[in-house]
Amino acid sequence: MLPGRQHLIVLPAYNEEGALRHTVAKLQALPDQFEILIVNDGSTDRTSQIAQELTRTSRLKLFAIDLPINGGIGVAVQTGYLFAEKEARYHFVIQFDADGQHDAASIIKLVEECERRGLDSCIGSRFLGQGEGFRSTFTRRLGIRFLAYLISTIAGTRVTDPTSGFRCVGPRAWKSFAQRYPDDYPEPESLYWCIRNRLKVGEIPVVMYQRQGGVSSIRALRPAYYMVKVTLGILVDLLRRQELHP
Amino acid sequence: MNAPTLMLVGGVVAFLVTIHWVRNRDMRERYAIGWLFMAAILLLCGLFPSVIMRWAHFAHLSYSSAVLVVSLTAIYCFSLFVSVALTHQYRRNVRLMQELAILSQRLERLHNAAKANPADEVVH
Repeated sequence: MLPGRQHLIVLPAYNEEGALRHTVAKLQALPDQFEILIVNDGSTDRTSQIAQELTRTSRLKLFAIDLPINGGIGVAVQTGYLFAEKEARYHFVIQFDADGQHDAASIIKLVEECERRGLDSCIGSRFLGQGEGFRSTFTRRLGIRFLAYLISTIAGTRVTDPTSGFRCVGPRAWKSFAQRYPDDYPEPESLYWCIRNRLKVGEIPVVMYQRQGGVSSIRALRPAYYMVKVTLGILVDLLRRQELHP
Repeated sequence: MNAPTLMLVGGVVAFLVTIHWVRNRDMRERYAIGWLFMAAILLLCGLFPSVIMRWAHFAHLSYSSAVLVVSLTAIYCFSLFVSVALTHQYRRNVRLMQELAILSQRLERLHNAAKANPADEVVH
C-alpha cells in the first residue's frame, strides 16, 4: 500500500449488537492508515451503545455516527461517503459489512488492487475464487447471476458479484456518491453507474463467512422487490447522460 | 341527482376543503394550486355539461364514460405530481438527517476533546 494515505472503512450497521464487537476486533490487525466509521442506521437494539463504547476502546481511530431513523443501507453508506468528504483526508473508502461476513485481511488486497491497476472501484467477489466460504441460497445466487449478466451485457464489462457489499471506492467515485447514491439495495446500481461514467472497475476474489448476527436486509417478500427495483434502476440509468466528466 | 349536479357539488366541496386546509396551514399553496385547478374543472363541468357532452360525442364515448376518463386522467396526473414531490421531499429529509448525524458526531468529538483538555477551553 502507498504510504502516507489515510483510508476510511465504513461499517453500515442496523441491529448488529451481536456481531459489531467481533467485526471491529477483526479490523484491529490493519495498519494505522485505516480509520473506521460505524454508521448506526437507526438501530433499535444496543448497536449505538456498543459503537460508542468501541470509539473508546478501538486501537484504530474509530468514529460512530447515529442516524436518528432507519434510512436503509444506501443512506447509511452514503453517510459514510459524506463523512469522508467533510473530513477531507481519506483516499479510499471501503464498505465493509458490520455482520462479520467479510474478511478483514482482504481490505488490504482491495486497496492494493485499486492502487496497482488505478481502479476507481474494486469489488470483493464471492464467485471468482475456489468457492470457499459461506454459500448463499440457490435463489439468491440465481438473482446475483441475473444481475451480473444484465450489467455485463449492457456495460460490456464482465462483473461476477454486483451485489457484494465489500468494496473499495476511490475518490472520484465516492465524492460523487456523497452527493447522489441509490437509496435501497445500492450495490448493483452504483456499480453500473461507475461503469457508465467510464470509471475503472475491477474485482478480486474474496471469501465470505456466515453472518455473526443481525438479519439480511433482503428477506421475506423483498427478493422480488429487490430484483424489480434494481433492474429498473439499472435500465433507467442506461438512459441517463454521462454525469462524471474527465 | 344527475352527473352534472354531482360534479358541481364535488367541485364546490373540493374547493372549500382545499381553502380550509390552506387556511389552517395544513396544505402549502404550492399543492393547493393543483387541487384548486381540479376543483375548477369539476365546477366548470358541472355548470356547463355541454362541454363534456360535446367532447364525449367527438370521442365516441357515452357521457358517463367521458366523465370517468376526465376524472381518472386528472387523478392520475395529480398522483404523479405528488409522487415526484414526495421523492424530492424524501431526498431533502435524508440529506438533513445525514448532516444532523454528522454534526452531532462532530459536536460529541469537540465536547470530548474539551473535557480531555479543559485548559484549552475558551471561557466567555
